[in-house]
Amino acid sequence: MSDTAGNGAVLVVGGGISGLTAALEAAEVGNDVFIIDKNPYFGGRVAQLNQYFPKLCPPTCGLEINFKRIKDNRKVRTYTMTTVKSVSGGPGNFEVTLETAPRYVNSNCTACGDCSDACTDEIDNAFNFGMDKCKAIYLPHEMAFPRRFVLDKDACSEECLSAIKGACKYDAVDTEMQPKVFTINVASIVWATGWDPYDYKKLDNLKPESSSAIITNMMMERMASDNGPTGGKIIRPGDGKEPESFAFVQCAGSRDENHLEHCSYICCMATFKHMTYIRERYPEAKIYVFYIDLRTPGKYEHFREKLMSDENAEFIKGKVADIIAEDDGGVTVVAENAVTGVKMKQKVDMCVLATGMQPALGEAGKALGVAMDGNGFVVSEPEKGMIAAGCAKSAVDVYTSGQSSTAAALKAIQIGR
Amino acid sequence: MSMNVQPDLDFIKDMKAAGGDTLKNCFQCATCSVVCPLSSDDNPFPRREMIFAQWGLKDKLIGDANVLLCHQCGDCTAYCPRGAKPGDVLGAIRAYAYKFYGWPKGLANLASSGKNLPMLIGIPAVVILVMWLISGGMHIPSTEAFVHHGYGNFFGHWNFHLLAKNVFFIDLMFLTAAGIAVYGSYKGVTAMWKAMAENAGVGEALYRPSVPQFIKEFFWPAVVEIVEHERFKKCETNADRIRGHLPLMWAFIALLFVTAYSAFAQDVLGIFIPSLHGPMSLWNPVKILANVAAIALVVGTGILWGNRTQMEKDGQSSRTFYDWFLIWMIMAVGVTGIGAELLRLIGIASIGYVTYYLHLVAVMMLFLYMPYTKFAHLVYRTFAMTFERYRDSAYVKNPINEE
Repeated sequence: MSDTAGNGAVLVVGGGISGLTAALEAAEVGNDVFIIDKNPYFGGRVAQLNQYFPKLCPPTCGLEINFKRIKDNRKVRTYTMTTVKSVSGGPGNFEVTLETAPRYVNSNCTACGDCSDACTDEIDNAFNFGMDKCKAIYLPHEMAFPRRFVLDKDACSEECLSAIKGACKYDAVDTEMQPKVFTINVASIVWATGWDPYDYKKLDNLKPESSSAIITNMMMERMASDNGPTGGKIIRPGDGKEPESFAFVQCAGSRDENHLEHCSYICCMATFKHMTYIRERYPEAKIYVFYIDLRTPGKYEHFREKLMSDENAEFIKGKVADIIAEDDGGVTVVAENAVTGVKMKQKVDMCVLATGMQPALGEAGKALGVAMDGNGFVVSEPEKGMIAAGCAKSAVDVYTSGQSSTAAALKAIQIGR
Repeated sequence: MSMNVQPDLDFIKDMKAAGGDTLKNCFQCATCSVVCPLSSDDNPFPRREMIFAQWGLKDKLIGDANVLLCHQCGDCTAYCPRGAKPGDVLGAIRAYAYKFYGWPKGLANLASSGKNLPMLIGIPAVVILVMWLISGGMHIPSTEAFVHHGYGNFFGHWNFHLLAKNVFFIDLMFLTAAGIAVYGSYKGVTAMWKAMAENAGVGEALYRPSVPQFIKEFFWPAVVEIVEHERFKKCETNADRIRGHLPLMWAFIALLFVTAYSAFAQDVLGIFIPSLHGPMSLWNPVKILANVAAIALVVGTGILWGNRTQMEKDGQSSRTFYDWFLIWMIMAVGVTGIGAELLRLIGIASIGYVTYYLHLVAVMMLFLYMPYTKFAHLVYRTFAMTFERYRDSAYVKNPINEE
């Protein structure tokens, strides 16, 4: 396979739902496409969700079909653990240097799992936000594509490494693998670099590390997932208690010039969705949602109405600005109810911070010549061959990401013709 | 529920002028009320004050004790997600309230704007200069006379021992200025108390405390809390400010005592024992206290000066005339006071007299403008903290009547 495609090739940076969509749309009309992801797998944030909007589908629905289309399409070349090092040239004629980090597992891997069984060292499971451990040689998650193990070499002792190597029947483990730098020529670049959950540890007034009862909305997604750290149980990290009460802290870091200035768009809906997760498991649990404004655009309004009629749920207009860890493992959240003008101190068993979307590309993007707005979102410049898609462009849901990715593909294929 | 909002546009304009121009940024998330270390559970602030200010509900704000309970710690401003600077907005509301309650009105309006600074300095400067001119004392004394009498003959002297000429002139000017300030404060505080009582629904109280009860149960505990800086100590973001304010407050208390002693010794006892006139010995305990207090005054003001400069640099506070005028005045009083004393000790009459004149001007400004500048917090906040106790007491909150 050549690393240099013909005229009109598209580089898609980021292999989440937006990048996959853009790549497929471009490839299926006949353009050569390179799609890269810094993770050892494709699927991005959607892969970590339990259910996603608009239809509350599990991520297998949606991702799997895209993976299949990619596998079947010879126009798309996929590179995991790969990042952009430099970009030169211009629209129609970019020269992009990419670097693939060593996976230490080659394409012989059949994902049989023998290596993992033999592995003695464990690491924090990044896919589950460190809520559990996994072996140092691991399949990132159940439906990982490409279906190939990845080794965290630095976390392993020499003995462990040799045990891993010995266990592999296919000679797939290569601990001497080196980073690979290579150059491709493309006509346009689609930035589908997505988002990271805002680092909740920066919310210092909430003292997020003072109690294991404080989790983020993305942790909630992992816990609710059957393939998550708890096998789908929503229990308090640490002591495993089944919570009888929940507090949701909206705008945890969003709409806040000290953190993320923008509205992250999805957190209100995510909280309503999490209420459905809770109701499936705990029909009687008390739920308190603390908000500034509830933003449920378009048809999501009906979803809001349905969940706001929940008798065991209370909605309080007022942002939680203090959380106090309690001795019994729970926490007390403090907010001023702006409607009654009285401070409310609500003790709950579990507190969910509805953290927002931080554009993942960050400062590194500027060095690559990507235009960004004040919040770090990529500004599309089709005339310069640089096109943004999905959450790299603005904080949006999966549905809107699909639209913007198709639009990005349409722009991309018009360059270099 | 419908509500007829009557915004007072002039009030909003005043807010903007006094450093409250950020108030429109507030989106009522109420973070401020929770991070505020001084805000109570039942009566939190400053979120409610922010929306009142946005709506121009002046009447609600000038009768709101919370506005004065705020010590501008700055925690609200530090954590505000919108840069609305609630701390500054409440400061601006206080500035407005002092002006609103100020008596006489003309003086209150004058003291509330930096544009009037020439007038603000000019009034005492001219008054004292004219007094100096008509007193007949208008000459620079010889070094010997200066060393002997100090500034005791600034306004000349007559051999009429019942009332020294200097004492007469000083009392004439400063008792008048102080009298205006005291009466103005009394009128202002009374009006504010009435507004606060109305807003808090105190008017229907069945029983009222007697004056001794009122002092014992509400006023005196508030004074003790102020002197101990108990509330100020809770401030987190601007914890450093207390290091400036505490010495400054004690300096004022000490200087009040020193001035009172000096007035009694010179103006009352001096009628019978003329030798009490003239400078005190440096080793007189009262003089030692005075000097220590003077240094504390300058140091304390210097700390506040530096602190405010830093806050403004960090964008945690806006630069306003309201905040700086008081710092400038107190600094001027301290520097000219110490300067005049040093010049007396080294015996340079000419510069000494000029410095002493400036000192008198600065002191008169401080006295005269007390009820309208930031200095007014001395009385207004004291009574607001008294009111807070009263508001939460059984006189107002009759537990039997609570639903």
